[in-house]
Amino acid sequence: MTDRRRINGPRGGTNPPIFASSLTSPSTLQATRPTRTRQPDELRKIYLKTGLAPSASGSAYLELTPSSPASHQANSLIPVSSSLKLTCTVHGPRPLPRSAPFTPHLLLTTHVKFAPFAARQRRGYTRDASERDLGVHLETALRGVIIGERWPKSGVEVIITVLEGEEDRWWGDEVGAGSNGVGAGGGWGMMNVLAGCITVASAAIVDAGIDCVDMVAGGVAAIVGNSNARRKRQLETAEDRQTVLDPCPSEHENLEAACVVGYLQNRDEITELWVTGNAGTATEDLIDRAIDAANAARGVLVEAIKEAAQSKFGIKDADNGEKKSTAATQDVEMAG
Amino acid sequence: MSAPATVTTAPVLSFPPPIFAKLSPSPFLLAHLKPSASNTPAIRPNGRVPSEHRTPTINTNSLTHGSGSAVVRVGDTAVVCGVRGELLLASNIPHPRRDNADRSDTEISDLGLLVPNLELSTGCSPAHLPSNAPGTLAQSLSQRVLSLLQKSDLVSLQDLEILYRPPVTDPDMPDETPETVVKAYLGLYIDILFISLDGNPFDAAWLAVVAALRDTRLPQAWWDADREMILCSDSVRESRKLSTRCTPIASTFAIYMPGTVQQRRSSQESWMLADPDGFEEELCDETVTIVLDCSKGNTSGILKVEKNGGGTVGRALMRRMLSEAERKWHDWSSALEVTDAV
Repeated sequence: MTDRRRINGPRGGTNPPIFASSLTSPSTLQATRPTRTRQPDELRKIYLKTGLAPSASGSAYLELTPSSPASHQANSLIPVSSSLKLTCTVHGPRPLPRSAPFTPHLLLTTHVKFAPFAARQRRGYTRDASERDLGVHLETALRGVIIGERWPKSGVEVIITVLEGEEDRWWGDEVGAGSNGVGAGGGWGMMNVLAGCITVASAAIVDAGIDCVDMVAGGVAAIVGNSNARRKRQLETAEDRQTVLDPCPSEHENLEAACVVGYLQNRDEITELWVTGNAGTATEDLIDRAIDAANAARGVLVEAIKEAAQSKFGIKDADNGEKKSTAATQDVEMAG
Repeated sequence: MSAPATVTTAPVLSFPPPIFAKLSPSPFLLAHLKPSASNTPAIRPNGRVPSEHRTPTINTNSLTHGSGSAVVRVGDTAVVCGVRGELLLASNIPHPRRDNADRSDTEISDLGLLVPNLELSTGCSPAHLPSNAPGTLAQSLSQRVLSLLQKSDLVSLQDLEILYRPPVTDPDMPDETPETVVKAYLGLYIDILFISLDGNPFDAAWLAVVAALRDTRLPQAWWDADREMILCSDSVRESRKLSTRCTPIASTFAIYMPGTVQQRRSSQESWMLADPDGFEEELCDETVTIVLDCSKGNTSGILKVEKNGGGTVGRALMRRMLSEAERKWHDWSSALEVTDAV
């Protein structure tokens, strides 16, 4: 169906290019599979900055550095893995239109949209079900943080544009294995995107100056099965499973379960919890590990906000000079 | 109950500049452009002189997926542009053209190989909040980018064609060499997303498009007769950069006239504001966009002149705008060159 409000592609329809190297035998393709070089409890580096869009009341940008080194993909057009890039703008609080019914608290609206160039396959212009789903999850994560009673009859909009998303699995599996091969059952990338959305929205809300009970940070943990055990189709022993923080789905051949939390550290509260896959008895441990990841992300969040506050109000960080130096580099390394 | 001994003087009613700008924007701008003291120069509220444009910051190849990308920041306007090449099989074209004579002139636009789409509903400004359909401004900007892409001849058809020369099958007729056929085309999806909008969306969007196209790397592609499909090589060495034939740069000017509509008829006062920001754009009815390409020799090639609203711009002002646009072309195209060199 053609979209009358946009410029449509050629009438014959286009297909993404097929690379000859992806049609080679699976074994040679497997050699290029990325592997996790980080420690199980080590997160990817997070770059977070607020105040990118001055026309909005609050805004923030979040980027995860790709875990595979850039030199790896220097001679191939096929990117090894993607790195999450999110921008978030907050508009409001502002009065609702007269036609809107009375609300005693702040009306929160969330929008999550992937850019057309966010993934290996071109994404559509209208929001699909998964994007709406992310929006709802984000809303639940944020609603518990904002003190909505202070703004009756007002609304606030949180809009996130995903410039680059996380992949659901390694691209080689997508090409070769079909729907029931290794890494089947998608949605793993969504977990990382949601965790990033929660963190970046939290920073943007603080930038907009909206009163919150605490800052919410997102974190992901996953249970990864051993690849040899996967072939045996047995995951009975504990040694075969490992819990990792901040999983990059393309680096893990078989993710068993993943969990994302929106966590308030000061109040020790979870505003959003989403577990997919079969965690079995390890669910509670998985949630704890996701909270660890959220706490690590919170460290970056605090630094980013502190830095923004210093530049905005000219406050000198008197109590410790060493923290200022980390803020100046803007790139805070996280380890657990 | 006694009043405090210190008598406070009545507070002087004065506002900080941002509040004054919000309450009465037009007098605020006029006060800046026409200072009461004659020796102070006219400086716009954003600190620029009327003919001064903003300096862009360009970053290319920052996105992982797609063939090329650019992030352009002009003042507080920030744009991300991503280019993605996809294959259009010649056999899938509904009504292929039979005649081969001078087809290359209009083939890109006939086939729709360049697909620019501009998205404003990314929360870039409070005026463009996400809704299901793109607004009028986004639609018109997309259309302007498309027509400029087609008219400026920026991308050549040769870069987008995938040719195939069938092997000689009949050994008895060695003289008859098979004709080279176009098996497929590469369509370029050009998606422009505004991260932040503070006036002059077209100039920034167009610069992002040019920068992203200059950054675009298309894979080596060939027709595989055995598989009957187009295959691409993922080797960077075999891929080629998309050659852009010119460097068009857009310059937008806004004409500011103070007062109401009735007052404007009598007075002849007007100011030309180069590269207007969001605040100035709201106060100006008349805008002029000039697209120049000075890359071929010293003479400025005018690709497009667009004027909307009002009737203030005369011949002399138009000439001044043209020379300002030429100055801007040199500034902005050197910014592009610097990006390419990195």
